[in-house]
Amino acid sequence: MYFNYNLAHDFRHFQKINQGGTMNKISNVSKEELELVSEVTEQTSRREFFKKTAAYSVSALAAASVIAPVNASASEHIKANPEDDINIMEEKPWSLKFGDDVTVNLYGQPSPYEHNVTRRTTEILSSGNMRASIAVTPIQDLNGIIVPNGLFFNRHHGGTPTIDPNQHRLMIHGLVEKPIVLTMDQLKRYPNVSRIHFLECPANGGPEWRGPQFNSIQFAKGFMSCAEWTGVYIKDILKDLGLKPEAQWMLAEGIDNSHMGRTIPVDKVLDDAMIVWGQNGEALRPEQGYPLRIVVPGWEANLCVKWLNRLEFASEPFYAKEETSKYTALKQTGKAIQHFYANEVNSVVTSPCPEKPWTDLKKGDMVEIEGLAWSGMGTITHVDISFDGGKNWVEAPLKGLILEKAWTRFSLMHEYTGKPMLLSSRAADDAGHVQPTVREERVAVGIEGVYHRNGIHTWAIDAKGEVTNVQILS
Amino acid sequence: MYKSYHKKIVATTLFASVVFLGTACNASNDNNKNVKADTKIEKPSEFNGVPVVWPGETIEEIKPFVGPAKASVSETVKKKYDFNGKLIVDGGVYYPIVNGKTGAYAVNEAAHTTPFNKGKIATTNEQKVWDIDVMPDGTGLPEGSGSVEFGDEVYEEKCLSCHGDFGAGSGLYPRLTVGNAYEMHETLKLQRVAPDSDGPQRAFGSYWPYASTLWWYIKTGMPHQAPMSLTTEEVYGLAAYILHVNEMEIDGVEVDEEYVLDREKFLKIKMPNEDGFEPKINGPKGQDNAREYFNNPVNYGNGVRCMKDCFEGEPKVQKIAFALSNFNPPLSSERTMPEKKEDESSHPGKDAYSASCAVCHATDAMGAPAVGDKSAWEATLKKGLDTVISNTLNGVNGMPPRGGSSLSDDELKQVVDYMISESK
Repeated sequence: MYFNYNLAHDFRHFQKINQGGTMNKISNVSKEELELVSEVTEQTSRREFFKKTAAYSVSALAAASVIAPVNASASEHIKANPEDDINIMEEKPWSLKFGDDVTVNLYGQPSPYEHNVTRRTTEILSSGNMRASIAVTPIQDLNGIIVPNGLFFNRHHGGTPTIDPNQHRLMIHGLVEKPIVLTMDQLKRYPNVSRIHFLECPANGGPEWRGPQFNSIQFAKGFMSCAEWTGVYIKDILKDLGLKPEAQWMLAEGIDNSHMGRTIPVDKVLDDAMIVWGQNGEALRPEQGYPLRIVVPGWEANLCVKWLNRLEFASEPFYAKEETSKYTALKQTGKAIQHFYANEVNSVVTSPCPEKPWTDLKKGDMVEIEGLAWSGMGTITHVDISFDGGKNWVEAPLKGLILEKAWTRFSLMHEYTGKPMLLSSRAADDAGHVQPTVREERVAVGIEGVYHRNGIHTWAIDAKGEVTNVQILS
Repeated sequence: MYKSYHKKIVATTLFASVVFLGTACNASNDNNKNVKADTKIEKPSEFNGVPVVWPGETIEEIKPFVGPAKASVSETVKKKYDFNGKLIVDGGVYYPIVNGKTGAYAVNEAAHTTPFNKGKIATTNEQKVWDIDVMPDGTGLPEGSGSVEFGDEVYEEKCLSCHGDFGAGSGLYPRLTVGNAYEMHETLKLQRVAPDSDGPQRAFGSYWPYASTLWWYIKTGMPHQAPMSLTTEEVYGLAAYILHVNEMEIDGVEVDEEYVLDREKFLKIKMPNEDGFEPKINGPKGQDNAREYFNNPVNYGNGVRCMKDCFEGEPKVQKIAFALSNFNPPLSSERTMPEKKEDESSHPGKDAYSASCAVCHATDAMGAPAVGDKSAWEATLKKGLDTVISNTLNGVNGMPPRGGSSLSDDELKQVVDYMISESK
């Protein structure tokens, strides 16, 4: 498409035409000529070119019209040639002038056209103000299993602090032979480990125990994200410190406004709990705990304390506010589950969803049904899909990486019928757990638990392809 | 006198209609969120050819299900004993390193056995300053005292604006009391199975297992905008006041308006819901109890991998009754150029500069004074602005007239102004 080459080409072409020459490909122009020419012709607009051409000779005009990009007359052209795509026939401003220097956005930014792909908030999810609130991830707009750091869901209890990493310290004390303090530089001297894990707020889906409330996947299921975390296993540091045998619990505490603490059993600390400073290859973002947070793979994201400054080992649990007042799941027996660790096996269809409906499909179109499955207890083994509200199911293939305690994609090819349907997904993991129906979950724990809701999620798709959030009580 | 007033407020809060069906995260356990849903949708009796169950009607449907735990447990649930010879504490799977790999990840095993011994010994003073937690047995609880009366004063000054009169809550800020702790503790078995049914009333007095959590949280987390700012006496006073508005007793003595709380009395507080939590994590068997609990999914629910005819009849569909859609920013999947904010208005010469002049003037590679090069422009401007404009229009050195552009005189003057303004 020589229309799009360069204005320099037009200039050369203009000259050739006026010299009675023929059309030149840009490759006929030497680099030196190009630079010289572009210097003086950068501004030559096509319209002007045609104006001049018309003035010079009728034959040139005829020749020009063969190659003329449609531009001003694009709409006229499309009227005459409706099969042509105006976006191909018309010249675009971004192909005719300089783009930004390499000096622009030295830390890259998304295209401005993507400005609607953002975390979102809603007042009702705050604990009074926006410094104790949550911003949720637009999972409708994401592919694969890695969430860009700027879109990673963010929940904090006293605002996002800006911490000077040079002044940040990590203290490890309590029931250890050798209590220590580490600087960030010292910590980073430990051999690092990178692991892909999801982090999920245990209240993901929590506002919908009594029925669906959000006609949006972002708010119904977006209290979670998945990233590659880089840091050090806590057990690798502990082996140098001498953990005392009576140590059963570890308090992890942050140094932000909220000074939030959570208790973690030593079993998990000695398995796969990590202290991380890296997220998707770069430093943690401030809202993810810069410079340091703990990642407790598969477990409540609230346990993954951000802005981490202290680990204390003890023989008895600590009973912090966020593990008594909150993050406890009250059952219909009147007893509440405390220390509710792993986010249980779960899944949701991400395409279609309320934000990405099937309104553009025609009967007979092939379409990919796609979604996310995850389990804090292990690895996804199966995902089943139902088109009739959970009465009958078919297994959906998994796709991409299948990693423990990480988002896993599933995919099913579907011939669109144009008929209404109730589309559900149900995941199972290698711990042997299967996602319960809404009814099964209510039987087990009632409807006041707030946390750890993993009942099967269903979208109702109407005859127009619109998607709405429903629950199946059968 | 204010006590009866307090009761009235609490009662009003308690029985206010609750539109919001559930809540999230930290905000979540408070049932007093009288936030109205912003839209109300129609209630068709069927949807896509299947009967629709609405919350009002749903309730009867839920009722038979809400009972003693009897979740179906898949027989495929495996017990894993392979981490230190014990069950995995969360009921999940342990992935050992086998042949240098764990799962999909390759492991440099030497990196995890080499001693490093980084850091320095934490001094006693350092540990004392940072060890801010307060445990149920009194570890971390300082000596001191504070009265209900003093606590009331501090509360009015520093707490009331968010937590409301007598701890009754306000807006989305948490309630500190739902009334008499012992009576309200009895509500924890309630389930909101009908739109007008009372739910469990969760607040400090009725729900929290230990008072130590209250002291710790007030000291390190409150007031929200100024944590760690309260004195020991103020924290004891506030704790006493909160016990008072929860109508609690310590060692058989009512925490009345004259009560003075101190460390010794504080450690005698017995919360009505101390035994309200499972698994039991205290004592040397704490982790073992957690292991046993989470390896039995009956305790928290599990499904069955049924593939055909999994229930009888048509599916019962519950639709959104009150759509919450007050989202910031509003949902949109459009790909559009965002509108420029007013304060982002650019120099009138900027676009023409970028299109016509930047190729030479962005750097000094072409011998032209580069935009942003202060000294080069100072030198250029020594000729006087009129000369610079004249050179621009007529060409100078390697630059052709108008820089080879077809910009008008006025446009070129704006470009020159832009280049100068960017080079100061």
